[in-house]
Amino acid sequence: MLLRCLGAEWVKLRRSRIWLVLLVLPVFSALIGFANYWMNQAILQNGWYSLWTQVSLFYGEFFLPILIAICCSFVCRLEHVNRNWNVILAAPVSTPTIFFAKVVVVGVLLFAVQLFFLVLYICAGFIAGLHAHFSFPPEVFGWIMRGWLASLTIIAFQLWLSTRIQSFAVPVGISVCAVFVGLGLYVSGLGMFFPLSILTIGMGVLSQESLSLGELGTFAVMCVLFVTTGCALGIRHLTRAGL
Amino acid sequence: MNTVIRTENLSKRYGVVYSVQRVNLAVGEGEVYGFLGPNGAGKSTTLKMLLGLVKPSEGSVSVFGKDFSRNRLEILSQTGSLIEAPSYYGHLTGLENMRVMQRLRDVPDKHVEKALQIVRLEKQKNKKVDQYSLGMKQRLGIAMALLHFPKLVILDEPTNGLDPAGIGEIRELIQSLPHEYGMTVLLSSHLLSEIEQVATSIGIIHGGKLLFQGSMEQLQRNSQPHVWMKTQDNEKARRVLQEMELSPSLQDGFLVMEGMGDREVAQTNRALIMAGIDVYRIEEHKKSLESIFLSLTGKEGSL
Repeated sequence: MLLRCLGAEWVKLRRSRIWLVLLVLPVFSALIGFANYWMNQAILQNGWYSLWTQVSLFYGEFFLPILIAICCSFVCRLEHVNRNWNVILAAPVSTPTIFFAKVVVVGVLLFAVQLFFLVLYICAGFIAGLHAHFSFPPEVFGWIMRGWLASLTIIAFQLWLSTRIQSFAVPVGISVCAVFVGLGLYVSGLGMFFPLSILTIGMGVLSQESLSLGELGTFAVMCVLFVTTGCALGIRHLTRAGL
Repeated sequence: MNTVIRTENLSKRYGVVYSVQRVNLAVGEGEVYGFLGPNGAGKSTTLKMLLGLVKPSEGSVSVFGKDFSRNRLEILSQTGSLIEAPSYYGHLTGLENMRVMQRLRDVPDKHVEKALQIVRLEKQKNKKVDQYSLGMKQRLGIAMALLHFPKLVILDEPTNGLDPAGIGEIRELIQSLPHEYGMTVLLSSHLLSEIEQVATSIGIIHGGKLLFQGSMEQLQRNSQPHVWMKTQDNEKARRVLQEMELSPSLQDGFLVMEGMGDREVAQTNRALIMAGIDVYRIEEHKKSLESIFLSLTGKEGSL
């Protein structure tokens, strides 16, 4: 059943312009980060790590959450216009499956974006000539993966918001506000308890220290918890219907 | 005849207002059931409850003899629907829209071709739906509803926004569904003229309540013809008739009586002549369906 829903989602996405956004935002954040690095090379002397602090700051703290919010708003708007929910919810598929299919689709897109961002990061490093003096930091792969896991928590919540709110922009606006809430919580040491600050921690944006085993455990538990909660809220909204 | 849809005391309450109140629908197999009511009467809400798109506040729905809430997926897999405005993905072509539904319902390619052919969209299937006319979108919506050749088709105002030629085409299509594909059709409209030409059964809803349900003939029988008589002296004639225990009313210079068979008409005529009153005219007026509808729903809801 999930496969059937995914198939349908795929047909809907294939011809859409969301691809453009998926390409442009990572490139944009990598460019800003790279420019920042390039101009401040005098202070940023820790090679790949310094480059990561710059590119991931713009990407992980700002563009990625926005990108997630846009993707979620987009896949839900497909159903909001022309009351397509009527057709989808009257199809012989269970309501949770419909929601999960959207989570999976956005999740897969964001995974591709993460890999793309990794490629951009490596390219930027090569352009800056880092490969000549420094060895490549193995932690990056962990940051990318954990960043993706943390993205899933944001995806679940954004999809819930976007199924509830017909507007495209409002959920995106909420996500911008959430970015600042996330920063606040991160600074006050409560980062593990909010999806957006989990992203900050997971991607090693503000601190490149390796996470302890305990922290990794908390990270995993919180990811599962948030994804479950977000999905439960979204599914509950769809089941109550009256759309 | 098997009953395909049966609702019991189906109600939907928003706050304190009932938009659908204790509706008992019964749609028989192979019927084209016309669900008629002015705008805002509760048609769409009722249809959405039949599909599980709106949760009933009270009452129950059973389809194919099975309780809907417990057999939702099984029932939906044999039901096709077009609710409110036609739904479509504007950035996709007609064919791609059908593909979305094909994936969801897991039906073979030939069904897609056939459904597009039935609504005559094969030639425009590679055009973006955003560029379709309203009529084409409506037809695409019907094609999506027919895609899996369901046993039950629920169409909400399917001819909305179509031109007269399109309306005729859709009407023929709807009429052909029961005998050609063994489908049962539940069709809603606010236009009596549309329903009376295709429906075998009819339900009239107004203010959330089902005012009438039955066959088309029953509806017509429901209002007996009136006999209108014009005489030389209506007042005197009226007294004569009242002595015969008839209760004629006076309208536009005519005496109007209900429930008169041939014999009663003859008797009345004879009695009047015996009483020395000339009878000028005896006319039978049948109420049109339109006026039956209006008398059921009230004039304000007629448009």
